[in-house]
Amino acid sequence: MSYIEVKDLSFSYTGKRMILKDISLSIEKGEWVAILGHNGSGKSTLAKAMVGLLEPNQGTIAYDGVVLTNDTAYDIRKKVGIVFQNPDNQFVGVTVRDDIAFGMENLMVPQKQMLEMIDFYSEKVGMKDFLDKEPSTLSGGQKQRVAIAGILAMQTQVIIFDEATSMLDPYARRDLIEYIQKLNQEGITVIMITHDINEAMYANRLVILKDGTIFSDGDKWSLFKQPEIFENSHLELPFSLKLAAALDDSLPEEKAVKDFLWQSISNT
Amino acid sequence: MKNIVIGQYIPGKGLFYRMDPRTKIISVITLMIAIFLLGSIPQLLVAFSVCAVMMWVGNIPVKRVIRGMKPLIILLLFTFFFQIFFNKEGKLLLDEVMHVTVVSVLGIVLWTIIWRLLARIGKFKTVLLLAYIMGIFVLFRFLPFGYSFTTFRFAIYEKGIEMSIFVIIRLVIIISLSTVLTLTTKPTDLTQGLESLMRPLKIIGIRSEDFALIISISLRYIPTILDEAFKIMAAQASRGADFAEGKLKDKVKQVISLLVPMFIIAFKRSEDLADAMESRNFVPGKPRTRIHELRFGWTDIGVGVFTLAALALTIVLKVIG
Ligand SMILES: Nc1ncnc2c1ncn2[C@@H]1O[C@H](COP(=O)(O)OP(=O)(O)O)[C@@H](O)[C@H]1O
Ligand SMILES: [Mg+2]
Repeated sequence: MSYIEVKDLSFSYTGKRMILKDISLSIEKGEWVAILGHNGSGKSTLAKAMVGLLEPNQGTIAYDGVVLTNDTAYDIRKKVGIVFQNPDNQFVGVTVRDDIAFGMENLMVPQKQMLEMIDFYSEKVGMKDFLDKEPSTLSGGQKQRVAIAGILAMQTQVIIFDEATSMLDPYARRDLIEYIQKLNQEGITVIMITHDINEAMYANRLVILKDGTIFSDGDKWSLFKQPEIFENSHLELPFSLKLAAALDDSLPEEKAVKDFLWQSISNT
Repeated sequence: MKNIVIGQYIPGKGLFYRMDPRTKIISVITLMIAIFLLGSIPQLLVAFSVCAVMMWVGNIPVKRVIRGMKPLIILLLFTFFFQIFFNKEGKLLLDEVMHVTVVSVLGIVLWTIIWRLLARIGKFKTVLLLAYIMGIFVLFRFLPFGYSFTTFRFAIYEKGIEMSIFVIIRLVIIISLSTVLTLTTKPTDLTQGLESLMRPLKIIGIRSEDFALIISISLRYIPTILDEAFKIMAAQASRGADFAEGKLKDKVKQVISLLVPMFIIAFKRSEDLADAMESRNFVPGKPRTRIHELRFGWTDIGVGVFTLAALALTIVLKVIG
């Protein structure tokens, strides 16, 4: 059994329209999975269900064999953290230090130990010089790094990023992803939720969500060879990948390249 | 809009910065009670000097304390004139007949216009206000010309003057005391101090932790929300809205066009925030440890003893006097 097991998960906010339909997903420890889907495909709903913020209508979510319920949510959230899209709406503390401390305070970590952890994890995300700063003086990227430090300080094993980079500028985005890569190398399981294929490229495995169902799930290179998967799920492939798909792994023949270029020009 | 300051706190060092917020809050309240027990101007003047010395010892910038009094000037003036007008005890010092006549009323209208025009310059507002009030008396007294609507007597008694000075000194001391508290205590420390002091209220079902969390989240979000308001205003200004000018009706419309998006964003924000807090294992009512622990030090003991001594002394004075 995998570390994270989502089984036949279905969810509806209203009781009528199902937002998630029979989602099944197994994720191993230390994996980096990208969950890719168009706007409204149910990504955030899935993310919230996975940390117990929403209760599924059907199906189960289990971490390390423990099924997520109201009773186990508290303990499971020690293992799984989530970074949301809007950097401002998840910054609880008055200062960076207070915000990193928030989760630990909830876990009743003694003050002395909290201070050590804050030192360690703020250093790790490059925010040690900002501990006394207030959120209104920080950039979006810095706030997201503080959020990560706050989660890591709770000794979390899995971090779900729900479009955590989408409100950042391109530089801050790349910067944040580099931090996430480091964490993944150190063994943190990363679930990267995004609608941006470029960002999904950092993962090895792609899970494509379409209208609340898993449309495909597999190694990214094998999926890129089937561009119709992306088209059908309303996702735009980057030009380089379209080209690669058109060439179909064979040595680039001049005619194939030319044909592809003509076609993409006439399409635009 | 990066540096919106909430509260009056100014970073610094000194006696009062080293103190635990709880001691500061209790001391200020105790000293206020002591001040109210004092019954004469000389006693108050002594208290005032003691306060001044305390501020000097604690390195409190006097300018800031005075600035802290500015919003309360109307209150000060009101109490001052209230005592002067309505206290009719003691020796009669001044008794004048005031004339409400066509000329004096016109003069006052003119005087009001001059005052408003001068006030536009923006400086010496308080002095101008005082001059304006004085001017009204002068006009009523010395312009008994034209058709007279009515007359009234304006009398000042000894006790009136005395009481007004007494009340003013008392108010000034009390405001200074609270200003010292807010100048030297971060809003977050203040909240935490209050929370800690209010903890016994748990018996009657008031959870001070919730209260403290609400305050600290508000403190954290005020700059963000203001920032947002400015952004929305800028966006609407770029579409031709003008928040400064225009008729009342237009202004109301603009304020609504500002409030509606702000409320929608605030709701979304609070939902997000609740999710973020819950995902980090916040459970309302569950005990938590704190990153900032309040600790009493030697300064607290010193100031505490001083405060109690001051209270004891005033009680003794009250009993003897
Ligand atoms: N709180 C809610 N109440 C009702 N419907 C919601 C709520 N949140 C999201 N939805 C609906 O669920 C669908 C999926 O939303 P979401 O999970 O946020 O998608 P994504 O994150 O992929 O953009 C959308 O159609 C959205 O309108
Ligand atoms: Mg979403």
